[in-house]
Amino acid sequence: MTTKTFLHGKPIDDVVEVHEHVSPAAAYYKVLGALFVLTGLTYAVSFADLGPASLTVAMVVAFAKATLVAMYFMHLKYDDRFHVFVFLSTVIFVGIFFLFTLFDLGSRTRLNEEQGTFFRVNNGKDWSESQRTNMAEWQAKQKAEAEAKAKGDAKGEGKAAGAAPDAKGDAAKAPAKAP
Amino acid sequence: MSSTHAHGPKPPHAFFQHHYDTVEQQAGAAKLGMWVFLATEILMFSGLFLAYFIVRAFYPEMVLGSHELLSKTMGGINTVVLLTSSFTMAMAVRSAQVGDTPGIVRNLYMTIGCALIFMVVKYFEYTGKFSHGIFPGKYFDYERAAAYAAEHGHELVGMPHIFFGVYFTMTGLHGVHVLAGIIVLTWILRRAQKGHFGPQYFTPVENVGLYWHIVDLVWIFLFPLLYLVK
Repeated sequence: MTTKTFLHGKPIDDVVEVHEHVSPAAAYYKVLGALFVLTGLTYAVSFADLGPASLTVAMVVAFAKATLVAMYFMHLKYDDRFHVFVFLSTVIFVGIFFLFTLFDLGSRTRLNEEQGTFFRVNNGKDWSESQRTNMAEWQAKQKAEAEAKAKGDAKGEGKAAGAAPDAKGDAAKAPAKAP
Repeated sequence: MSSTHAHGPKPPHAFFQHHYDTVEQQAGAAKLGMWVFLATEILMFSGLFLAYFIVRAFYPEMVLGSHELLSKTMGGINTVVLLTSSFTMAMAVRSAQVGDTPGIVRNLYMTIGCALIFMVVKYFEYTGKFSHGIFPGKYFDYERAAAYAAEHGHELVGMPHIFFGVYFTMTGLHGVHVLAGIIVLTWILRRAQKGHFGPQYFTPVENVGLYWHIVDLVWIFLFPLLYLVK
């Protein structure tokens, strides 16, 4: 007499067999072909000037490729659903990680402004020369510098005016521009 | 394992461990463990991807100016090589599922071959960058890198050493994973040659395969973000 064996809540008749879906070889060839086509597509698109849309296009294609690899090469399509759950919950947590960090960084300038938070700027030089400032002071200074520069070369490279207003990035920009 | 009855129950495979009820339960436990490990791998790489997106969001011109120095063709070749190796890996697992041992060995040789090609291409990419003063972080030689960029009609903007710090960390960590992949692939190749794997037992082939596909997945995102995106 044998006792009944259960796996994933279902009775198992045959305890020494592994029952896994075996995809036909042709399926793998097709997936490889699709992956090559998609790679060629992103490569070709990268030479076209799409501007900011290029990130979206590249990411859509990358997600399509990742889905193909995960579903067919990693067998998620035919696998125990719990593995899909592990994989997708990881992706969701990565999404939360990205979203919250970028929210925080995106809103930090405004919060610094509101609260008058002090911080140090070093203008790309040694940190011993850094100055204590807050957002309002710093932006006023940037604006004044930009105006002074615009007046200075009024004949116009048009470069100074474009460089100044973006408050976030320019603090430490241009360390030693190559001569 | 001889059974006294000619028609007795078939014995489980030689690697069946007594604390499991069924062969399938043993395979399932190993695979779930592998998936949990892969989850930690994804989370580890996600930190670097986030670093990339932050640098890109704050200093778009710097990223766009610097990435022009990376060779799209080299990156493209490596993408094709890695996708092919993922395919041969999937075929190796399939060969194990259908009990074709020469097929496992052949496909594993091809997978390891592709992994080695990938590392050779990476070696030429890295040394090419180093020879023009493009090092990560504080070792970045701005004058030489700017001269090199000017030769190719590009301009370095802002702090390219930050971009290349991100580039070398991301591709470097990925390269370490490829090297680790070569080691574990060689291990299961040796076991396949000893005839350990068949339709009843192919868990090591399958789990190494899953690891190898994750390495491929990471590259699928690295390639467009670092080399292609404008």
